[in-house]
Amino acid sequence: MVIDFNTAALAAIAFWAAGIVFGVVARWQSSLKIYSTICSVTGSAIMGVFIAIYWSYLGRPPLRTLGETRLWYAALIPLVGFLVEYRWKIDWLKYYCMVFAAFFLGINLQHPDVFDKALMPALQSPWFVPHVVVYLVGYVMLAASSVAALHNVTLQLRSKPNLTGESVAHYLALLGFVLLTFGLIFGALWAKEAWGHYWTWDPKETWAFLSWLAYLGYLHAFRYKIDSKKLQWYLALSFIVLLICWFGVNYLPSAANSVHSYTRQS
Amino acid sequence: MAALRRRLFQSPWEFRESFIFAAAAVLAGFLVEYATGGTGIVKPRLPYNAVVLALFGVSVISAGLAFRNSAFVKWLGGIPLGLALISAISVLSLIGGIVPQGEPVPGSLATLLRINQIFSSWPFAAAVILFLVNLGLSLSWKLVPFSLKNIQFILFHAGFWLALSCGVMGSSDLQRLVVPIEVGKANNLGYVMESEVPQKLPFSVHLQEFSLEEYPPQLMLFDPKSDKLVAENSQAINQVRKGAIATWKGIEVQVVDFMPYALPGKDGIPRPAERNTGIAFAKVKILSGNVFQEAWLSTGSPMFKPYAVELGGLLLGMVPGTPKAFRSAVTIRDEKGEETKATLAVNHPVDVNGWKFYQMGYDEKAGRWSQLSLVEVIRDPWLPAVYLGLFMIMAGNLLFFWNGIKQHEAA
Ligand code: HEM
Repeated sequence: MVIDFNTAALAAIAFWAAGIVFGVVARWQSSLKIYSTICSVTGSAIMGVFIAIYWSYLGRPPLRTLGETRLWYAALIPLVGFLVEYRWKIDWLKYYCMVFAAFFLGINLQHPDVFDKALMPALQSPWFVPHVVVYLVGYVMLAASSVAALHNVTLQLRSKPNLTGESVAHYLALLGFVLLTFGLIFGALWAKEAWGHYWTWDPKETWAFLSWLAYLGYLHAFRYKIDSKKLQWYLALSFIVLLICWFGVNYLPSAANSVHSYTRQS
Repeated sequence: MAALRRRLFQSPWEFRESFIFAAAAVLAGFLVEYATGGTGIVKPRLPYNAVVLALFGVSVISAGLAFRNSAFVKWLGGIPLGLALISAISVLSLIGGIVPQGEPVPGSLATLLRINQIFSSWPFAAAVILFLVNLGLSLSWKLVPFSLKNIQFILFHAGFWLALSCGVMGSSDLQRLVVPIEVGKANNLGYVMESEVPQKLPFSVHLQEFSLEEYPPQLMLFDPKSDKLVAENSQAINQVRKGAIATWKGIEVQVVDFMPYALPGKDGIPRPAERNTGIAFAKVKILSGNVFQEAWLSTGSPMFKPYAVELGGLLLGMVPGTPKAFRSAVTIRDEKGEETKATLAVNHPVDVNGWKFYQMGYDEKAGRWSQLSLVEVIRDPWLPAVYLGLFMIMAGNLLFFWNGIKQHEAA
């Protein structure tokens, strides 16, 4: 390959770090703000280019192993931060997002994933890309929502009012829920074609259903006008369910015969 | 908020009552399960389940409309109980997401409470039934009087009601059988998971041909002493192609020639052959320590032994690639004698007379030379209703997305 993962990841992390440093210094020296933006965006662009190259190298979209999906999270999560800054003029979210993305890349640096070009027949389906992409973007939104909620919680503890922050967390959760719903249904329609039944309570399905329920509960609680401050805690903690869904499922006792653990070949 | 603290079960009921109620329902479910020894629920089949479901749906909606001013019914169809039931279903799903499902151990507590088959247990059923009551009541109030404003709500909630109720009720009518067929033969017997006794099907499946495509083979270094593969330096999976290089500690292997389909001649040197008889051969240059050699490697087949090379106690070999695609050319003949020709492949099932035919598996030991195809046949008469529900949810989803954006633009 033209560029290997370690170089790309370290370069992206370096640019994000520079973006954060410039961003913090720009609070006193506002002329530096532009450098912060350039560095941050460059970091994400590097990951974007790397994914494109990697995709053409593999000859299939890199969406299959955990390591591959982490590449996308790393590229997309900062993007949400940038969009939120652009749309709502909230600048703190992107810092969390970049740290978070660097964390994903760090995991990949620690655990080099096996390059496997083979795609098993059940995954060769027109549903593969929409199902995974919708989920990925949905999880990205929800992760950003949790991060925003966490920030809101810390502001609450310091008794600072923060209405825009709360509405950002809410809006991201809403978008994430919409995408999760699509992801769940696309998955069901695909499962019918590939495995014969749309729902089998496979552990991964069960956990995806659980995270969907968590946000379903949130939306109804919000509608019922439950104190928005309490709900920030709820949103921040929902992250735990997401984490189990991402990484935890393979380690649970129930995962022994999951059709979704492609990474462990027997 | 409230200045006066409301006592438990003093009206209006809210969250505490809801959570106590939901917990009591789940607990009652577990008690029934324990009392009956964990046998789970027996669901009626067509047409009885359809009748039961229709009656249930009509009574919930009518009750909602008839008693819409009753404080109790309002609570029964309200968001607090909805949240309590969502939590109840979450807790039960959490159990189902942690405890391995589907292996009853006679006499164990898990089996008695059915937590190893939680999704067909009484506590789960109790939560789902109450959920449908709660959802149905809230729906009745948005349906009558009808207003276009409520369309998003109706699509979401009615869609979910339909998908959930029909999915649960219809599962007793789901038929799923595996039909094993040998090449050139026909079979009209299918097997279900739980039983060795075949069932006669209303059709027969004749298998003309089975074919399997593989990814390129892979180089492997095998240690017979530890019975393990030695990891390659880059941790890559070494797909064999001309020019590919693989390295292990002290060993470097380069592929100088690769023939996916070949057969050895009298002199032992492979020559290109037909696709359906040939096997994969690769000529490799090996540098092991300071020793340099050239050799042929081959995956072998039921007729030919594989070619491998011994390198200081280790074995360098080539194994067939993983399956890329497999398909069966079949003719399906129904009881009236009507025939349908089809090619079944993974992800490409075929519909005939309300049955769906899936390519499921083959004789994995024989791999590319399998003379057996496993076809799965499935009939699910409730599928259209479930899909209607799913499509309604997706339509509601689009509206929700759209309105979500608009609300925020306004705010
Ligand atoms: C447990 C039973 C449920 C009850 C009692 C319930 C009740 C409600 C009520 C009263 C509203 C407010 C509607 C309005 O003010 O216009 C609402 C909103 C909503 N419900 Fe449900 N619901 C339930 C389950 C569900 C399910 C299963 C779904 C998903 C398929 C769902 C999706 C939604 C959505 C997306 C909203 C809009 C939220 C918003 O506008 O912020 N609900 N629900």
